[in-house]
Amino acid sequence: MSTARPTLLELQLQIRRAVLAGDVGEIPAAIEASGIDAAARLRIYRSHFLATLGEALKTTFPVVCRLVDERFFAYAAHEYSSEHPPRSRCLSEYGADFAEFIASFEPCNELPYLPDVARFEWEINATARMPEAPPLSPAALTAVLAEKAAYVSFRLQPSVRYFTSPWPVDAIWHANQRDEVLPIDLVTDEIRLEIRRAGDTVVWHRLDTASFAFRSALADNLVFAAAIAAATSVDPKFDPAAALQLFLAEGLAVDFDFSPETV
Amino acid sequence: MAASKALNSRKTRQLPVVVERPPAAHGKIGIGLRSRHVPKITADRPALDFLEVHAENYMAQSVALDRLLELRRHYPVSLHGVGLSLGSGELLDRDHLGKFAALIGQLEPILVSDHLAWSAVGGVYLNDLLPLPYTEESLDLFCCHVDEAQEVLGRRLLVENPSSYLRYRHSTIPEASFLVEIARRTGCGILCDVNNLYVSARNFEFDPLAYLDALPQEAIGQVHLAGHHAAEDVDILIDDHGCRVAEPVWALFAEALHRYGSVPTLIEWDTNLPALEVLLDEAGHASELIDVHCSPNAA
Repeated sequence: MSTARPTLLELQLQIRRAVLAGDVGEIPAAIEASGIDAAARLRIYRSHFLATLGEALKTTFPVVCRLVDERFFAYAAHEYSSEHPPRSRCLSEYGADFAEFIASFEPCNELPYLPDVARFEWEINATARMPEAPPLSPAALTAVLAEKAAYVSFRLQPSVRYFTSPWPVDAIWHANQRDEVLPIDLVTDEIRLEIRRAGDTVVWHRLDTASFAFRSALADNLVFAAAIAAATSVDPKFDPAAALQLFLAEGLAVDFDFSPETV
Repeated sequence: MAASKALNSRKTRQLPVVVERPPAAHGKIGIGLRSRHVPKITADRPALDFLEVHAENYMAQSVALDRLLELRRHYPVSLHGVGLSLGSGELLDRDHLGKFAALIGQLEPILVSDHLAWSAVGGVYLNDLLPLPYTEESLDLFCCHVDEAQEVLGRRLLVENPSSYLRYRHSTIPEASFLVEIARRTGCGILCDVNNLYVSARNFEFDPLAYLDALPQEAIGQVHLAGHHAAEDVDILIDDHGCRVAEPVWALFAEALHRYGSVPTLIEWDTNLPALEVLLDEAGHASELIDVHCSPNAA
């Protein structure tokens, strides 16, 4: 065992290993025992790390937690936190790849919809952390739409998300807000959701295929003409004028631009 | 343990009382704001002098921040950092510091604080306030980081004493002296967390009153009060902010009041969160103790 005194940075990197992996290495030589061995003292910090991150994940993924039960969730969170420690000091940003972890976490294989429920809960969390901007007034567009409509692109509300899943995650989410969970038909067509912040809450609703194609194309910064093409390719009866009117009326756009070179 | 014996032995002693201290520039009693309590505080507007929030919970332009800005119209806010990691043996996270500065611009807090601790290294955040070895190396580094933080934030920082579960063999400076020296070199203030002091004093069998005596009154900018519990498997007290303030901590708070006078005092409660009324009851008790121990007629 080395007896050389570690620098502060060396010591902290060693303690990091002890907290993340329980590997105390040579740290005990640097710690006063005083009746309690160094490994036991370090375990307090590791336990705190795992417990508090488990709570943070439970706050962000409450329905996932309910679906698998608290004990299993704590186990999954424990594994995740050890392998994927936070990079940000803001814990609401923790868990961005928790859904991917669940998808590759073998004990979760029996619940094939679970990763998508986690993805959905992450989007709700991410949406709540975005600001609301004043919506673009439809009148601001009136003058330009007539001649350059095809070239217009929009900047959407920062909180807006477009989300698809083969599982009815919205129904699963709603069912798990009640004490008694009612049965859910898991067989469904792909669902397409628009998620956004509305004041103090996060709201979402399902969109039909064409509306989803239209709005998610605009969210991807495609111009109006390209968004129309995306929508009509899935529904030839798609009505662009009505769709744009509704899009603006719902306050989804906050600004617009012309991008003729991208058409 | 030695610490509690020392405390008990002082209970009956007549101590000099600070009576000349001017009223605190900002109100005396606040509570830590938790999101679950926001609707009730917004609706009832309980009599509190300030609310304190963890800076890291409000660094996005979120629903939570908008609610806090609404409350900010009615209550001064104190901003408590848990992630500056002033004790890291590497550079401060400039991105995080920038977000902290932006939040100060939005909230105009009455107080800004963080900890005598480290919590991040090598790009990983350990979500805990880990203890430092108290050496000349870490003292120099910590002071550099406080200087940089105060420069970027444009505010005087308060640095909080930690609760500790381990100490390093190669520490050469007593914690209180380390804290006092940081304040002397950087001009920062000290946030005296009385529960942390009690927990550390019990865990390492030192005299918390001597620690209080070592901190200069003029450096004390705030006091924190919170709960703790005893670990199940080892003889260690754990600071958990998850229960009422323990009686010996109230007694130590009274000792702090005798030494420092009335300073802004916070009830912290972060886990096992009870109804708001419980926090208000604790705040009420702290207020009573301030009145008893800091009034001009206090004996």
